[in-house]
Amino acid sequence: MSLRVLNPNAEVLNKSAALHMNINAAKGLQDVLKSNLGPKGTIKMLVGGSGDIKLTKDGNTLLKEMQIQNPTAIMIARTAVAQDDISGDGTTSTVLFIGELMKQSERYIDEGMHPRVLVDGFEIAKRATLQFLEKFKTPVVMGAEPDKEILKMVARTTVRTKLYESLADQLTNIIVDAVLCIRKPEEAIDLFMVEIMHMRHKFDVDTRLVEGLVLDHGSRHPDMKRRAENCHILTCNVSLEYEKSEINSGFFYSNAEQREAMVIAERRQVDEKVRKIIELKRKVCPDNDSNFVIINQKGIDPPSLDMLAREGIIALRRAKRRNMERLVLACGGEAVNSVDDLTPECLGWAGLVYEHVLGEEKYTFVENVKNPFSCTILIKGPNDHTIAQIKDAVRDGLRAVKNTIEDESVVLGAGAFEVAARQHLMNEVKKTVQGRAQLGVEAFADALLVVPKTLAENSGLDTQDVIIALKGEHDRGNIVGLSQNTGEPIDPQMEGIFDNYSVKRQIINSGPVIASQLLLVDEVIRAGRNMRKPT
Amino acid sequence: MKEIVTIQVGDYANYVGSHFWNFQDELLGLAGDPQADSVFKNHDLNMDVFYRTGHTLQGIDTYTPRLLSINMRGSLGSMSSRGTMYKEAAPATSNVFTWTGGVSTQASEPQKKNLFLQSLYEEENQNMVNETSGSPSEYQDRDITESLENGVQFWTDYSKVHFHPQSLYELNGVWTDVGDFDNYGIGRDSFAWASQGEEISDRLRFFVEECDHVQGFQFVVDDSGGFSSVASEFLENIVDEYTNTPVMLYTVRGSGPKARLQSRNHKILEDLHDAISFSRLSSYCKLIVPVGLPSLSKASKFLHIEDEKHYHSSAVYAAALHSISLPFRMAPVGPTADACSVSGAVDFHGLIQMLSGQGRQNMVSILDVAMPTPALTGGKKELCLLENFQPLTPMISEDGEDLQAIEHLTVHGILASVEGLRASVCEVKDAVDAAYQRANTRPLFSHLSVARCPLPIPLPFPSIFGNQIGKYGELMSDQLTNSPSKGSLDVHSIPMAARLRSSSTVLPLLEYNLQNLHRYGITRGAAGAELLRGWGFEKEELVEMQEMLSKMVATLCPPELSSDSD
Ligand SMILES: Nc1ncnc2c1ncn2[C@@H]1O[C@H](COP(=O)(O)OP(=O)(O)O)[C@@H](O)[C@H]1O
Ligand SMILES: [Mg+2]
Repeated sequence: MSLRVLNPNAEVLNKSAALHMNINAAKGLQDVLKSNLGPKGTIKMLVGGSGDIKLTKDGNTLLKEMQIQNPTAIMIARTAVAQDDISGDGTTSTVLFIGELMKQSERYIDEGMHPRVLVDGFEIAKRATLQFLEKFKTPVVMGAEPDKEILKMVARTTVRTKLYESLADQLTNIIVDAVLCIRKPEEAIDLFMVEIMHMRHKFDVDTRLVEGLVLDHGSRHPDMKRRAENCHILTCNVSLEYEKSEINSGFFYSNAEQREAMVIAERRQVDEKVRKIIELKRKVCPDNDSNFVIINQKGIDPPSLDMLAREGIIALRRAKRRNMERLVLACGGEAVNSVDDLTPECLGWAGLVYEHVLGEEKYTFVENVKNPFSCTILIKGPNDHTIAQIKDAVRDGLRAVKNTIEDESVVLGAGAFEVAARQHLMNEVKKTVQGRAQLGVEAFADALLVVPKTLAENSGLDTQDVIIALKGEHDRGNIVGLSQNTGEPIDPQMEGIFDNYSVKRQIINSGPVIASQLLLVDEVIRAGRNMRKPT
Repeated sequence: MKEIVTIQVGDYANYVGSHFWNFQDELLGLAGDPQADSVFKNHDLNMDVFYRTGHTLQGIDTYTPRLLSINMRGSLGSMSSRGTMYKEAAPATSNVFTWTGGVSTQASEPQKKNLFLQSLYEEENQNMVNETSGSPSEYQDRDITESLENGVQFWTDYSKVHFHPQSLYELNGVWTDVGDFDNYGIGRDSFAWASQGEEISDRLRFFVEECDHVQGFQFVVDDSGGFSSVASEFLENIVDEYTNTPVMLYTVRGSGPKARLQSRNHKILEDLHDAISFSRLSSYCKLIVPVGLPSLSKASKFLHIEDEKHYHSSAVYAAALHSISLPFRMAPVGPTADACSVSGAVDFHGLIQMLSGQGRQNMVSILDVAMPTPALTGGKKELCLLENFQPLTPMISEDGEDLQAIEHLTVHGILASVEGLRASVCEVKDAVDAAYQRANTRPLFSHLSVARCPLPIPLPFPSIFGNQIGKYGELMSDQLTNSPSKGSLDVHSIPMAARLRSSSTVLPLLEYNLQNLHRYGITRGAAGAELLRGWGFEKEELVEMQEMLSKMVATLCPPELSSDSD
């Protein structure tokens, strides 16, 4: 209501017009994303006004690239993007499901039904579907050693919806190994401990797993080694750069001598810090068979670099904050914030540290580490959009593996779950519902079919035939999905097509919430183009 | 040498930046041009402070601004976000390397390059084909300047600078009309959204890592709308990561009529936006300089500014920023000081200490400019150097006399007389000293930086000079007033003076923000309380901001008044 008070000029639409506006917006967004779904979907190429190209197969990325202005569409888009934030996948499915819920509702509303009744039906159907999901899911036992095969299948299913098969399959192993590398028993998996780094490469598309870390910078001193073996690693966050100290209140710009004296004092302090590091280096590298590498989050200025280089120390400055944590997990030791109490125990270790130069870009590899709990997926591609594509796919894959380990279950894909849930709702649930809310259950059940239908459509198949065949098999007690190639029913289990349980659950949960809000709209104020903006 | 990294956030900030970098580019060009005036060759200004050297994958050396520019997707016009210098290993063709299935293309209407950009492009190609062929360009300079006068839509339309591929960041997913991105609340999520903040911070890291000793961040933000919050989130990050590196913050905004008729509620929204934006932004820097008059056309004596043209007003602000930035790149004075064409080097830290670290410790500075600055002697009427300044900071009191003021003055390219002889550094110093002696009120402390090198006027500079301004920016005797204003074809350089001032004359601006925050945001039943909650502010936070603003006010109030200002 306050919306209205603040903006008396806004054009208020009547209820029915508002409702239809919402339905149309939802359908519109659905139309945009539809062709993205599944391994036979199309990739979208967005060409900007200046000729910049963005490529994406990912619903989530596509939404973010789009200039959405319709408030209803923004609401749906926010939900879909949140879907990805929370569960890591399922953006396209969310948009399609919401669109389809609205579409199915439209039929009934046009026949004069009150949206309230539909919404009640949605609520019942949602709860029933979630219960059904619990029964339907395939448990995966995660002992001390997770079943690598199933992890690979889940990763492969999702990555193949983003990259062509052989590229996807190459990535699948890397992704699973990366997650298993950082996984600590009894702890939540922190995917940030997998660094994703990219390099440009002329023609090749290539990705590899580095057990250790790849940093996107190198040392800044000409005399420092570009390659070193058997390295002690000091991870620190200590400024080794001369800084002017803060001057306290009431200070008046000092004369030249005063200033000079201060400069000297400050410089001495920095040198002192460097000397402490050098002391430690001498202690741990008494002879020449080991090396010493500093990776510092703060700056290191040329005089400090000189001192370090003279001692044969390799030093990198301005490391990413997050790499401090990763380094320690990869190499051991600890990240220190001061050089006052340096001991050999602070140090980590890497078998090999070397630099790779590419144009003006430098990379430092910290490899051959013992027992790493952090690693790097290194992507090579010929241009920005290829790299971005692979990055998106890797992120999806990582999330899928993490989800599987944490969910301890997976869900049969290729539309199998959606058809099974639909049949369950129609055959079992609907009859237990009183009155017209039944129709809400029915609308919900039919909306679920948007996933297999769209998968069929994107494969160039006849959707009606496919749906009839799938329903038939399910009624005979066979849990099947559709083959993307032939449209024939297939057993997703046999084919290794698995989706994440938590992704499916999130879709079932959030879809009807938004659809209900859109159906129960009282009035829409056109001027409020952003829902959160009160004018 | 100590590097400066420049950050530009928001549309108008990039308008200003575009002019700023054009000046730098022009200086670089003139330094290498055998025909150019010698003052541009031995200017004793170290351009490395603002520029980085690098090379492309093909091994071509590059020299590009240390710049991170942030703006809305689609705001780059016909310029590619990767710039033009660094070609990708494989061209960004329609080859899809990652997908064997279908491809559907959605192409925006291609942005046509305007006459100026076309001529730039052609010039470049010609240079590559045949360095010596002096074939006359098919574009007439006059056509170019005219087409810019009426056709600038994006800041890139008049930019002649090559940018590094890491420099131009386009913000995504704002999901509003550009016109609706007009308040603090609406920009709040943009920085954090979809790890954009992380990408932005990474790009900044790229520029900082290669600095041996960064002297500070020159941060320019368009604070008229949603970019205020984008900038303050970013600043929070910067302060966290580069704690001891000073940030000098310019808030800039265009002038011109407000888009729609203002309702009372819209006025409240704007006032609250200004108050929140100012207090958030100032909490993350050491020195804040509010820039942007409601109307610049009224304020300038020698310039013909059309307020509704961002292209115009931003040129003036950029010129002032350029002048202020000169001392940061002057070589520190050695024993041969007199032979130099510069004097008064000071770095970021020094300047900030000077203005906000001493005396009352007021962190808000006023920017003044004299554009062009009159010659030291001659001319029809003796114009005193110090009386010619015009403030670019809004809402400052006119008649402020502040005995505790602190000033930093940069004067460059001044002519000794209208005949066009350039004054030496010493002459300028003496003249300024004399002017201070003559002045009725003198600041408590002042610092002067002088350079001989004037402001060069590049071809795409707007035609904003009055017709009494000559080729070297000299003020000629008055001429007919109805003839058109002059541009870069007639005026080649301009003597400039710019000043940063820590003075109590800024009080009205501070008090206005304080009042509005209190009245519309904090008092019981405040009209904007709901709005601020929508922007994500809790009462406590607001009270904290209020306290901070009160403190800023109290700092500047004469002691006998400060007690009742609470
Ligand atoms: N090989 C396959 N055959 C049929 N369906 C598949 C196959 N692989 C994945 N799918 C289905 O594709 C859908 C996911 O497609 P995707 O493009 O990733 O969209 P979303 O953004 O919703 O995750 C899931 O319903 C999944 O079961
Ligand atoms: Mg997916």
